[in-house]
Amino acid sequence: MLKQTIKMPNPRRKLSLGFASALMLGVATMMPAHADIKIGFQVPLTGPAATDGKSAQIAGVMAVEDINAAGGVLGQKIELVTYDDQAKSDQAIFTANKLIGEDGVKLVVNGSYSASGRAAAPVFQKAGVVMISAYGVHPDITKAGDYMFRLVHLGPQQGAATALYIGKNLGLKKISTITMDNDYGQATMNGFIEASGKYGITVVNKYSYSLKDRQFGSIVASVKRDNPDAVYATGYFFTGGPLVSQLRAAGITVPIIGSQAFDSEKFIEIAGPAAEGVYIMDSFDRDRKDETLQHFFTEFKKRAGYAPEGVAAITYSAVKLMADGIKRANSTDPAKVRDALAATKNFPMLEGTLNGFNSLHEMIMPISVNVIKDGKFKPAGVLTDLSAFAPPEK
Amino acid sequence: MGGGNGASPTAEDDAVYYFDLAVTGISFGCMYAMMSVGLTLVYGLLRILHVAHAAVFTLGAYVTVLVANATGSILLGFLAAMIVTPLFGMAIYRVMYEPLLKYRPDVPMIASIGLLIFMQDAFRIVFGEQGITFHRNAFAFTTFNVFGVTVSAVQIATIIAAAVVFTALHLFTTRTRIGIGWRATVSKPQIAASFGIDPIKVRYLNFAVGSVLAAIAGGLVAEMNNLVDPGIGFVVSYKALAIIVLGGLGSVRGTLIASLVLGLVEAYGTIFIGAWLDRDAIAFLALIVLLMIRPQGFTGARTA
Amino acid sequence: MSAYEISIISIIGINVILAVSLNMISGFCGQISIGHGAFFGTGAYAAALTMVGTGSVPLAILAALVTGSLLGLAVGFASLRVRTDFLAVTTIGVNFLFVGFVRKQAWLGGEMGISGIPATGFGPVGNMTMILLFAAATIALSLYISRSWMGFAFRAVGEDEGTAATLGINAGAYKLAAFGIGTALAGLAGCLYTFFTQFIAADAFDFIFSVMLMAMVVIGGIGSTWGVAVAAVGLTLLPEAIRFVNDYRLLVFGGLLVLVIRLAPSGLAGLVQKAFLAVRRS
Repeated sequence: MLKQTIKMPNPRRKLSLGFASALMLGVATMMPAHADIKIGFQVPLTGPAATDGKSAQIAGVMAVEDINAAGGVLGQKIELVTYDDQAKSDQAIFTANKLIGEDGVKLVVNGSYSASGRAAAPVFQKAGVVMISAYGVHPDITKAGDYMFRLVHLGPQQGAATALYIGKNLGLKKISTITMDNDYGQATMNGFIEASGKYGITVVNKYSYSLKDRQFGSIVASVKRDNPDAVYATGYFFTGGPLVSQLRAAGITVPIIGSQAFDSEKFIEIAGPAAEGVYIMDSFDRDRKDETLQHFFTEFKKRAGYAPEGVAAITYSAVKLMADGIKRANSTDPAKVRDALAATKNFPMLEGTLNGFNSLHEMIMPISVNVIKDGKFKPAGVLTDLSAFAPPEK
Repeated sequence: MGGGNGASPTAEDDAVYYFDLAVTGISFGCMYAMMSVGLTLVYGLLRILHVAHAAVFTLGAYVTVLVANATGSILLGFLAAMIVTPLFGMAIYRVMYEPLLKYRPDVPMIASIGLLIFMQDAFRIVFGEQGITFHRNAFAFTTFNVFGVTVSAVQIATIIAAAVVFTALHLFTTRTRIGIGWRATVSKPQIAASFGIDPIKVRYLNFAVGSVLAAIAGGLVAEMNNLVDPGIGFVVSYKALAIIVLGGLGSVRGTLIASLVLGLVEAYGTIFIGAWLDRDAIAFLALIVLLMIRPQGFTGARTA
Repeated sequence: MSAYEISIISIIGINVILAVSLNMISGFCGQISIGHGAFFGTGAYAAALTMVGTGSVPLAILAALVTGSLLGLAVGFASLRVRTDFLAVTTIGVNFLFVGFVRKQAWLGGEMGISGIPATGFGPVGNMTMILLFAAATIALSLYISRSWMGFAFRAVGEDEGTAATLGINAGAYKLAAFGIGTALAGLAGCLYTFFTQFIAADAFDFIFSVMLMAMVVIGGIGSTWGVAVAAVGLTLLPEAIRFVNDYRLLVFGGLLVLVIRLAPSGLAGLVQKAFLAVRRS
């Protein structure tokens, strides 16, 4: 693997090097010593969101190492300034102010939940700091202003795409829905329900559960009575795993469609045989013949001890995109980086190719669906009808 | 589609459905009972709201999974948890509560919450954010069909475990010398002491028994979810509080009744009022309604 | 002053108001409440709706005070009926009910919370100054109550309602007063929080936060205004101060909580008193 080009002084140039170093010393006294490009990084390292935060952190660090190993950007190294925000809004405001005021950061990747991204966005916007929200799904984040970017499909768009997939691709019409009660779960489900009519879907019954629930006996019994064609559930892998196994254990055999955050190998581990045949929306093709992707998989697994999930992949891509933006702007000036990012075209992410951003800096990208077969994620189609799940414009 | 169209179920479908919900509720209730009796015991004796009981429960769940995975036997996992957790429970008493007994009850309670936060994060650091699962857990996916109602093996195990455990506890406190002494100490400490019962030993016994019950509940929850994550005990920490208050603080019988009632209320409530309130809020709504009617809980055995 | 410092100081001020007001209920009057977050949240939501509707800062403050206090009085009535640990758990219940209810209400933004709340127009420094002024006023009010007849009556009720009754103190009225004043201030804090973050969601007012407030009261020394205020400052700064332990912050925080209570169960106020007595004795 072409990992590193180590910069070593050529012995033959020793003489001139002495000269150069003398010169450089002179320069160094006038300029701040070899300044790395700092990228602020907010992640939930403690608290209930730490599961995702840990993955995001590992992926973020890997991205920076890969960038630096390839020579950095504009001849400089990238340095990650990481703060724990516990995925809480007040902590996000503290750390945002800290990044701006004490660390002098101009470019930020928010690898945290909506509560954080939403609170931090206006702070960064006001300070003219570019922020890429890796996986915060709340619409407010990009509405804060033109310095904000989002690298994940909005909840309602994911929901609309799900309706398209269930109604058209799978041809299933009678659906029971199970919503996780948080902003992500609710927004995604709302998008589904809104779009469901368009594809002839009738929602038989709607259920919801809290993030802390792991036992779904009542919902399972009710879904059984509903006798639907399929079940659509929003949630995380740690709620989805128990939910799917309990649905299957009760003898419900209809297809189950899970939302994006089901996307983790832990889901398969938890649900075991019950995971077979479960569809996962807005997932990504893990077997794609792409060297970066395969390198990412092996390296992440080595560091984390578990396979990377969607959150890790997105965060990695977010840091890479920021570096790419700096390169294209040929500057670290936030206004220039912002313009460069806004002009992004066909950027290779781990999940596939990012078409670009719309006027609100929401990402435009097809949505991939996975299905679990023999305990592995297998591609089950790509939704390319971008107009069916177009994000809102400015 | 069969005769029972999803939109208009037959009367028979309805009966099965409500029975299904009842089974769900009862198994929740049994689980809650095993989680909360430990709290009741501690409260009855020391008047401390032992929030860190949730950490004991979590430890029980982790030990069950770890040992089961290491040995290949789920039974051994449960046994190991039932040995480790009482030691932990007694240590909590010795190190944390004993020196704080002379202060207002909210002082040990805050310490207890501190310990829970500490332990939760310790579990996260040691065993990872992602949580752990059983390598082999055929149990969770085995189901039985009883008159059209699907009952899972874990549900049956929970109900049986609760029945066995509470029968044993009942026999222990009514038929054995230690047990009778224990009960006496809880209700009349001075008199019991004058009969030569060591109140300190009773306290340790209290923590040990409560912790064993929490460990069993922890193991069963791990079975049912096939997942133990650091936050698994959090729900226990506050729901068990609601239960023991519903049960009339300090009354084991009241706790058992309250657990079953709450299990059932949640099982039906999740479906019928879930659109207005989430499950946790349902538990507390029941609690507040009951307390307004009966300020001393279901049994009202002791006045506050 | 950097923006970081301004934001921290603002939150410190808000937490001081919350802890000192909780201390009036739980410290002075002995009514243990672990649901202060609910009143805080009520004020925040009332202020948010008022700001979105009218954009008027004084109206928002008024709305927060009134709604916080109304909910507080309702719980105060409950405290007439249920006592001590029953009350403590009831207040936990109120907190869960509040969060569980708000989460499901579309008109309160549901899970999404309320956003786009207009700014006060005072700027960060202006907001901080306003928060600090209110915090100072809260401390002053608390000190004043503590020295007044009302404070005496509160303590009498807190120690023993029976004895209080023989002194001719109407325990019920004073309990209601304690809840009414304390929760109005919590509502005020919620309003200030809304001004600070400009968006709110139910999660910020959960049970854990209420526990944190109770921890401030206990660590400060139950009943001591100064002790509680100092503890509020300390416990807000602590997670920032131990930021270097990043991954282990909650571990260290929980551990310190246990240690502090284990070593100084009567709180900072108790420690100071002990030290004072020791000096006098020598």
